[in-house]
Amino acid sequence: MKQLLKRHETYVLAIIIIFSLIITSINPNFLTLENMFDLLKSNAFIGILAIGVLFVLISGGIDISFAATATIAEYLTVIVCLKIGGSMIFAFLMAIFIGILLGAINGYLIDRFSIPPIITTIATMNLYYGLLIVFSKGKWLYTLPPYFRSFADIRVLTLYTKDGLPYGISIITVIWFALMVLASLLLIYTRLGRSIYAIGGDVISAQRVGIRVRFMRIFVYAFMGAMAAIAGIVQALLVQTVAPNSIVGKELNVIAAVVLGGASLAGGVGTVFGMFLGVMLLAIVQNGMTLMKIPAVWYDVFVGLVIIISVGFSSWKAKKSKVTSLIDVQEQSPQEKLSVQGGIS
Amino acid sequence: MYKSMRLGILVVLVVLFATPMAFSQGQKAVADDAFEVVTVVKITGIPWFNRLEEGVVQAKEELGLNAYQIGPSDADPAQQVKMVEDLISKNVDAICITPNDATALEPVFKKARDQGILILTHESPDQAGKDVDIELIDNIAFARRTWDMLVEGMGTSGKYAIFVGGLTVPLHNLWADEGIKYAQEKYPDLELVTSRIPCGEDQELAKQKTLELLKTYPDLDGIVGFGSLGPPGAAQALKEKGLAGKVTVVGTVIPGHAAPYLKEGSLTKGILWDPKDAGFALNWVAKYLLEGNKLADLKEIPGIGAVAVEGDVIMVNAMVDITKDNVDSYGF
Repeated sequence: MKQLLKRHETYVLAIIIIFSLIITSINPNFLTLENMFDLLKSNAFIGILAIGVLFVLISGGIDISFAATATIAEYLTVIVCLKIGGSMIFAFLMAIFIGILLGAINGYLIDRFSIPPIITTIATMNLYYGLLIVFSKGKWLYTLPPYFRSFADIRVLTLYTKDGLPYGISIITVIWFALMVLASLLLIYTRLGRSIYAIGGDVISAQRVGIRVRFMRIFVYAFMGAMAAIAGIVQALLVQTVAPNSIVGKELNVIAAVVLGGASLAGGVGTVFGMFLGVMLLAIVQNGMTLMKIPAVWYDVFVGLVIIISVGFSSWKAKKSKVTSLIDVQEQSPQEKLSVQGGIS
Repeated sequence: MYKSMRLGILVVLVVLFATPMAFSQGQKAVADDAFEVVTVVKITGIPWFNRLEEGVVQAKEELGLNAYQIGPSDADPAQQVKMVEDLISKNVDAICITPNDATALEPVFKKARDQGILILTHESPDQAGKDVDIELIDNIAFARRTWDMLVEGMGTSGKYAIFVGGLTVPLHNLWADEGIKYAQEKYPDLELVTSRIPCGEDQELAKQKTLELLKTYPDLDGIVGFGSLGPPGAAQALKEKGLAGKVTVVGTVIPGHAAPYLKEGSLTKGILWDPKDAGFALNWVAKYLLEGNKLADLKEIPGIGAVAVEGDVIMVNAMVDITKDNVDSYGF
């Protein structure tokens, strides 16, 4: 229990629960399976981007260019698919390839020239996005290949409302969850994953214990690129239109969601579960405001307040626990106490 | 080490100084004595303003202006202010602009006019600090027509919601104000369920907001969407919930984008004017005024139609209904 109270995730979860209770008391339609499934579907896009951002933040970096990467992967893939036919699997593979390439360029530039990641990725964001606008001339793609529509309609579980309308768990939600499970396993159980925490915690120490820092950096940004690319395709599936400017501008929302979920901008800290909660907290606040009939002018005010309250509360907790850490020593388990005593004697 | 650093600095300097010059030379090369008329749009790279740019290009070719179009990558008032400031330092002859935020631009407009630069606005009739505003529609008639279309779909009583591109977009909010006023007089049984929602320039958001509205107000009958992405987003949400045709969706749309939704019945009707006409008219009037002609003498814009001048607002009536039958006949 004590351990649980120390975790940032616990607080985010608590805030989510409190919010859900408030919203449900005003509008019972909030806590329905249908609304939850809709939320999980429409936030899959932000959520997949968030997985990539989480990796980058854990490694001690930051990426601003992922929205541009996502747009390029989405745009090029759809253009090629329209030309040659292709299939959904081909679309995902091609997008991921483009994403990895663009991400790896970020990683290489950051490591090779030691430019601060924020500057590098602001530069590549402008470069990538600018090139896309130059070559696409801002043209929108209204008609996607037919399999984009049929794939987006797939449901893994279908239920019916009392009016007989179908709803359920979308394939898009499943993709998001599968990626989160994979990312989680990678971070917790593999040498690769642990190395990301290591370089985020202290890059020099990581180098000394034999972690190949350049490889890790390129890997992290390439991974971000791959996630951005998948998110780009998911966005096309959700909206059924590809617009060169529809993703750019959402970077800060995604980064905010990941930081809300407990990842540190200083690196070395963060979990997939926390990130998921962060994404859902923002989603629920935005969803809840319409459901609670709050006038639209107040939306931004509430989003700002929620971020301050949730991040502020857990930081304040963390600060307090540092101050009281002396007391914590006495609350260790008997075994640990034994070993401490043993060390002294 | 020193050498490579010096080389690096040199390269940066060359890029910083030479590149903009190369560009500006390219622009000057068009015509040295031609008027430089710059059109600043709300967002660059969306279909609506791409179409407007076609009108700018037409004006450049037919009127011999050094005309071109710029705009921010998202509907950000601050970026527009900065762009106008840049154009003032560049000392262009006229700036044609569709404002993202009417008040934010007032100070720079004053600065521009103090320097003798002509300011023409579009979609912002009550804008302070402009020389002249051009509207391709009579805004009051446009708002009323939109509400009439809503009523044609949902009947004279029921619940509806309004989407706008943003809470500070002048024209969307003017239409919303006029429409609400009109509805109160003519259709008193229409009930607006919530204040206008700013999601009309983002299809994904419009879809999400529509889903939320349907859960909050299950008996919703109609949606009025201003901003070309509001109605398609709403239509998509209705389709997903099996409500296509049961909830009326009307508003401003791009024909090419709205076609599938109109045909499947999830979007009831669209309304608009051709932004290409707007681009051309802005540049035509800019040239007309730069050549020293009087605004009061203006009777017609060639190729666009007769105009009515009221104070500093020029009005042309070029409003059209977009239905599933005529949607394919527009080339954009």
